[in-house]
Order: sequence, then structure tokens, then C-alpha cells
Amino acid sequence: MTFPKLRKELWFGFTIVALLVIPTFYFLPAPWNMASGHLGLLMLALVVVAIMLGFPTAFTLMGMGVFFAWLAYRFQSPEIAVRQTLDLMVQRTYAVMTNDVLISVPLFVFMGYLVERAALIEKLFKSLHLAIGRIPGSLAVATLITCAVFATATGIIGAVVTLMGLLAFPAMIRARYDVKLSAGVITAGGTLGILIPPSVLLILYGATASVSVVQLYAGAFFPGIMLAGLYIGYVIVRAWLNPSLAPQAPLEERTVPMPDWALQLSPGGTGLALPIIVGALASGKSPVPRSTLWRQLAVGLLPLAMVVAPVTILYRVATTVEIVDTGGMQEIGDTTGATSESTLAEPPGEGVQEPPQEGAQAAPAAPAATPAPVVVKPPAPSPEAASESTRRVPAPTWFWVVFAVGVAILAVNYGLFTFTRLQIFKLLLTSFFPLSALILSVLGSIIFGWATPTEAAAMGSAGGLLLALAYGKLTFQVVKESAFLCAKTTAMVCWLFVGSSIFSAAFALLGGQEIIELWVLSLNMSPLQFMLLAQFIIFILGWPLEWTEIIVIFMPIFLPLLGHFNVDPLFFGLLVAVNLQTAFLSPPVAMAAFYLKGVAPPHVTLNQIFSGMMPFMAIQVLMLFLLYMFPGIGLWLPQLLYGN
Amino acid sequence: MLLTVDKISTTVGQAFSWLILGLTFMMTWEIFSRRFFDAPHAWSFDAQIQLYGIMFMMGGAYTLAKSGHVRGDVLYGFFSPRVQAGLDLILYVVFFVPGTVALVWAGYTYAGESWFIREHSTVMIDGPPVYTFKTFIPIAGALLLMQGVAEMVRCVMCLRDGEWPSRKEDVVEVDVEKLKEMMHVKDEDIAALDKYVLEKEKEKEHGKGPRS
Repeated sequence: MTFPKLRKELWFGFTIVALLVIPTFYFLPAPWNMASGHLGLLMLALVVVAIMLGFPTAFTLMGMGVFFAWLAYRFQSPEIAVRQTLDLMVQRTYAVMTNDVLISVPLFVFMGYLVERAALIEKLFKSLHLAIGRIPGSLAVATLITCAVFATATGIIGAVVTLMGLLAFPAMIRARYDVKLSAGVITAGGTLGILIPPSVLLILYGATASVSVVQLYAGAFFPGIMLAGLYIGYVIVRAWLNPSLAPQAPLEERTVPMPDWALQLSPGGTGLALPIIVGALASGKSPVPRSTLWRQLAVGLLPLAMVVAPVTILYRVATTVEIVDTGGMQEIGDTTGATSESTLAEPPGEGVQEPPQEGAQAAPAAPAATPAPVVVKPPAPSPEAASESTRRVPAPTWFWVVFAVGVAILAVNYGLFTFTRLQIFKLLLTSFFPLSALILSVLGSIIFGWATPTEAAAMGSAGGLLLALAYGKLTFQVVKESAFLCAKTTAMVCWLFVGSSIFSAAFALLGGQEIIELWVLSLNMSPLQFMLLAQFIIFILGWPLEWTEIIVIFMPIFLPLLGHFNVDPLFFGLLVAVNLQTAFLSPPVAMAAFYLKGVAPPHVTLNQIFSGMMPFMAIQVLMLFLLYMFPGIGLWLPQLLYGN
Repeated sequence: MLLTVDKISTTVGQAFSWLILGLTFMMTWEIFSRRFFDAPHAWSFDAQIQLYGIMFMMGGAYTLAKSGHVRGDVLYGFFSPRVQAGLDLILYVVFFVPGTVALVWAGYTYAGESWFIREHSTVMIDGPPVYTFKTFIPIAGALLLMQGVAEMVRCVMCLRDGEWPSRKEDVVEVDVEKLKEMMHVKDEDIAALDKYVLEKEKEKEHGKGPRS
């Protein structure tokens, strides 16, 4: 291997290694007066180098941990060092085997593989695109929403990016979208699954930091949705400012296939659906069979039910929580689909947002601010609830705000509920809602404490099986493949955990932790500086390393420091989760980019994909900043639900 | 020989991967049973833990056989196969062998002690036995060691031939061909898209003048 032949990438890698090794040796005292703590630091530097050399991380950690643990014990009592090392090792292994947090990893992963194989992504994408066909950059926005929902349900970044690269990328290119924008949308959207719960990253963080996974999930919910909202806002603004970036899709891709009965009732599908159907039923002499009419009427009334049901439930639990409502509202938000143009404009701050945002938006906005100038008369649907209110605690203001938003959405929805919309709604009903229902029921049961995360994960797996069954994809082959993949992924994650827990035990034994703590404290940093430094380090580590490695190796080092600076580990975890999203988008190990490149037309270069991802990375950094400035975005829900 | 070892690891791993299905059904049933029939089972928690623990421990060698363990890919991917194999071989000897040997040994005594006292779980009164569960530590370690030796032989073969010996195919997480089929996309379609990309490029050049 001669030097001039070295590729640019190799240079990059070696530079990082050198940057790491040289200061280590510079700062380390000479070998003869080295304390064991310095050995710990040496070990840390060595492990990073070893990981970069590409040996499976789990075993690197394990081997190094065993060796250094033995060294550490030798410092104390040479005779029984071997015995102690072995004991440490097997106890750590056993602890991972009986870890009741990590047990949800295989279950969520299994659910993900099943959902992925249920193959509803195509339907999901098409129906979403139809639903929001009129806003600028609709294809890109539909891509983002699809990515967000699908990535959340499956959690498999690679599969989501590849699938969308096959499905949405061609569609966008054919519609003459900007290549960079299209690539950025897919890669950024695909990585959302890492942040929006139920995500494996948060489980791992919870297991490492002993933070309750439930609280992490509750906390990551809004930041995740907000990040998706920011992406969508960005795309819409870009498309609006410069339509050549994202022109309208060709008309034939935007027309909704209409069944005969609808055309008979309303040629062109522009008539308002409900009045016409009711009219036809009443007159009794329409050419369409009555059974069809009744069925359509039932479907048409679903949005109403979806607002009324959660609002009623919400009213009953008004003194506790209102996340139930988020479910209902979200679905409504989506039924309004394109009608959302008007409703979408109203949430302030983030400009236009994806439909799932609306429910979420309404919820935090309500209690947080707005002294609610909205005066809503207790309307018809809940008279009994109103009478009950005398015995109950009066509903707080936020309830009425939520209620008003619900009514407004309904009004707009039915005001625009043409036959075309009815058709779109039915499409969504078979693609979008099952998935969101799955996610929300899993999340809801965790967040409300009806089930532990593990149990919810098991229910999610069962739900995944049902979903696959409902879509006729539940074959022996599918289950077998999902089970095998799940075994491999779980083994990968959990063996990594075994390795890292041995490693961090050795690190602590050697006293490396103390040295770092002393050093950090000697810097006299303010908490703000510390946070900036920590996030910056994690951000930088995200370039060469993957998130699993960062979580299991470096989090144990940061976590003990948090106490000194009064940083809430829960909050820190949320910041880390947002931060690690960038790890997927940052070259050179940006996995998302390589997955996309694998299925993109040959003339789309990696550079184009990378530069397309950059704005989204910037948005992530912005989100990090927002979350830091307004911790309430993440902490409000866990505090509301679980107190402090 | 290599493939036999692969096969053993794979078969064992796949056999144990079915536990996930069992885990799903068992837990779902437990939730229903507790919530609707008001009949929780005391052994459920231990059973969950054991199913999960056994599953991932026995999956370790399988994952190694399919090179599914996460590696840092900053440099590795850019090395020639010979350099990769050489590095791997050294690191297998330095890290892997001591680690797994220690695991087997430690696991053996650990499980032995547990067998000796016929240890039962202490999470619940009358918990299920743990000695069988702990036995899986040395077994998983031994499987892993065996697979590791096979991997080392692979490294040597690669050093000799200059390319990696083949592995048996298995399901992979992102199987591009399969996904293409699922989405009804053909390679020609992707190639056909190129003209749009090129057109778009040209437009840009006309619009902004030649790009640097």
C-alpha cells in the first residue's frame, strides 16, 4: 500500500484516527508514572481506533473489556484477578440476558419486519399524494409523511429509504423535481423512525442510562413530530418560492379513480358527498342501489365519529390527560387531506404542516399558551357530558381549545367533502389509518401506563401479524423471514450490549471515569457550555460511528457527568436522540445515502444525494437548538403524565 | 468444513429465532389473561426474560456467520480484501478469542454453580429454574467460538486467494432485488429515469450558465 494510491476516504479515516491517537499519547504521562486511570483513557482511544478498523464492535468491546478488567484487578490483587475478571464478565452477560428493558427490542424489531412485509407503503404513498395534491411540492410532502409513518412503524431505516427510493424517487424525478431535493426528502424522512417512538434507539438509551423508556417515549413524541413538521414546512416553502424545484405532478397521477355510482350521482365528483347521498336516499329513486348509498354514508360519517368519540372521552378524562385526543385529531387532520390547506395555515410558527401535526399542534399549543379567546358553547353532541360537568371538575381551557379546533376541522372537512374526497378518504382508510392506529395504540398504551413498554411491544408484534394478515401477506415465508431477521438484529444489538457493559465496567474499574470527571469539572464549565460541548462531541462522533456504538460506548461516559451540571438525563436523552439523527445523514457513514444510491438511476451521484441531505441536517441542528431553548417541547408531556 | 460450521450456527440460530413468535403470543395472551380474565401468571415475567435471553444468546453465532454484527465502516470498506482479512485475523486473535474463551469458561463455572444448588428464580416465589437458562451462556459462547474459528479460517483463505470465500445466502434486512419486485420496479425503469435527471441537469446549465 503506497501513499499516493490511498483513496480520499482512507485519508479521511486515517486523519480521524491520527487526530485521536496523537493527542492521547501527548496527554498521557510517560509509562512509568501512569496511573490506572490513564490506562482507562488509553483503552477508550484504542477502542475507537479498533472500531474504525472495522472489526465487529461487540467483540472488540468484549475482548478489550476482558483484558483491561484483568489489568485493573491485577493492580489490586494479582492472585485472584483472573477469577474476578471471569465473574465480572459472566455477571455482566447475565445482566444483559435478564434485562427487562432490552426485551422489547426483539418485539419491536419483529413488529417492524412484519409491517414492512405487509407491503402497504405503495398504497400509503399514493393515497397521501392524492390527498394533498394541491399544496406546493405535494409529492415531496407525501414522501415525507409516508416516510415518517412507515419509518415509525417499522424502524428499519434501510428498508424505508430503499422502498421510497424505488417508489417515490422515480415519481418525483418523473415529475421533474429537483434531484437533490428529492434525495434529501427521502433520506431525511427515512431517518425519522429513529426519533419518533417506538424506536429502538430510545430503548437502548433507556437501558444504558436507566431512564424510564416510557418517559423517553412520551418525551420524544412531540420533538419527533415537530421535526417532521419542520421538514415539511421547509419543503413547502422551498417549493412555493421556486416552483421549478418541485412542479406539479402530471395530471394523470393526480386524478382519483371514481367508481360508477359516484359519477352517476355527481358527474365529475365535485358535488358535496353527504347532502347528495342523503338526498338520493330520501328520494328513493336514484340509479344507485340503496345498500351502496348506506355504506357510503357510513364511511362519510366516520370523520364525525372520529372527532366526537375522542372529544367525549377526552371530556371525561379532562382532568388527567388528553393524548387520546391526539389520536382522534390526527386522523381527522388527515381526512381533511387537501382541505387542510386552510386549516394547515393556522398553526403559527411552523408555517404549514403535515396533517398528523395538527392534532399534536393543537394539544401542546392549548395548555402551553393562548389564554383561549375561543368561547365555545357546549354543543349538541355532548349534552349528558355537560350535565355531568357539574359533578366533575370543570373542563380546563385547553379542552375547549381542542374542542374548537376539532369542530373547525370538521366544519372545513364537511364543507369540502366532495365525492372525490370521499374516494380519497376511503383510500386513506385502508392504508394510512391502520398504520397510525397501530402506532398510536402501541404508544398510547405505553404512555398511559396501560401496558409496560414490553407488553406494548408484544401487542405491537401481534398487531403486525394482524396487519400482515389483513393485507393477505401473512405467509409462512414472511413470518419465517421476519423471525430470522429479528433474531439477527436482536443478537447484534444485545451482543453489542454485552460487549459494551463489560467494557464500561472495565473502564470504571480502571478509574477512567474519574479522570474524565475531574478533568471536565476542572474546566469550570457552565451547564450551557457543558451541554454544547457534549452535543458537539456526539455530533462529531456521529460522522465516523453509528448510533448504536455511540449510545453503548459513550453514553456511559457522559451520563455520570450530568449530575454535576444538573442536567436531566431524560432531557439529555431527547437531545441525543435528535442529535443522532444527523449520524444517519452525515457523510461518510451516511447509511441513508448509500441505500438510496443503491436504487437510484446511475446519473444521480452520491454528491447530489449528500448535498440534498445538507439542508435537512441543518434543520436537525435547528431542532436541537429549539429543543434546548424550549425544553418544554419534550418535557411537557412526561411531566404532565408522570409528574416530576 | 467451513460451510458445515456455518450451517450449524445458522440452524441453531434460526431454530431459536422462532422463540420470538412464542414470546409474542405468550405475552399477548398474558396481557389478555390479566386484563380481561383477571388471571395473571406469576411465571410470565421469568418466562419472557428467559425466552428473550436464550433467543439473543443463541443468535450470536448465527449473526456472526452471516456477518451481521455491526462494524465501523469508516475505513474497512475501502481496504482491499487482503488487508481486510489480515486485520480481521489479527483482531480475532487479539479480541475475539480471549473474550469468548473467557465467556465459555466463566459461563461454565457460573452455570455449574447454579446447577449445583438447583437455583430457581427469585423474582417470584416458586420461580422457574434458572440453572437451565444459565447453561445457555457457555453453550452460546462455545458456538460463538466455533463460528469465530471458522471466520478465522475464512480470513486465512482470503489472505491466500485475495478474495473472500463465499457465504451461504440468507435473508437480509434490505434485499434490494426483493423490494424491487415488491414495488414492481424493474432495472430498465430506473435506467429510463436517467433521461429526466440529465434533462434537469441541462436545464440548470442553461439557466445558470455552465456550472463549475
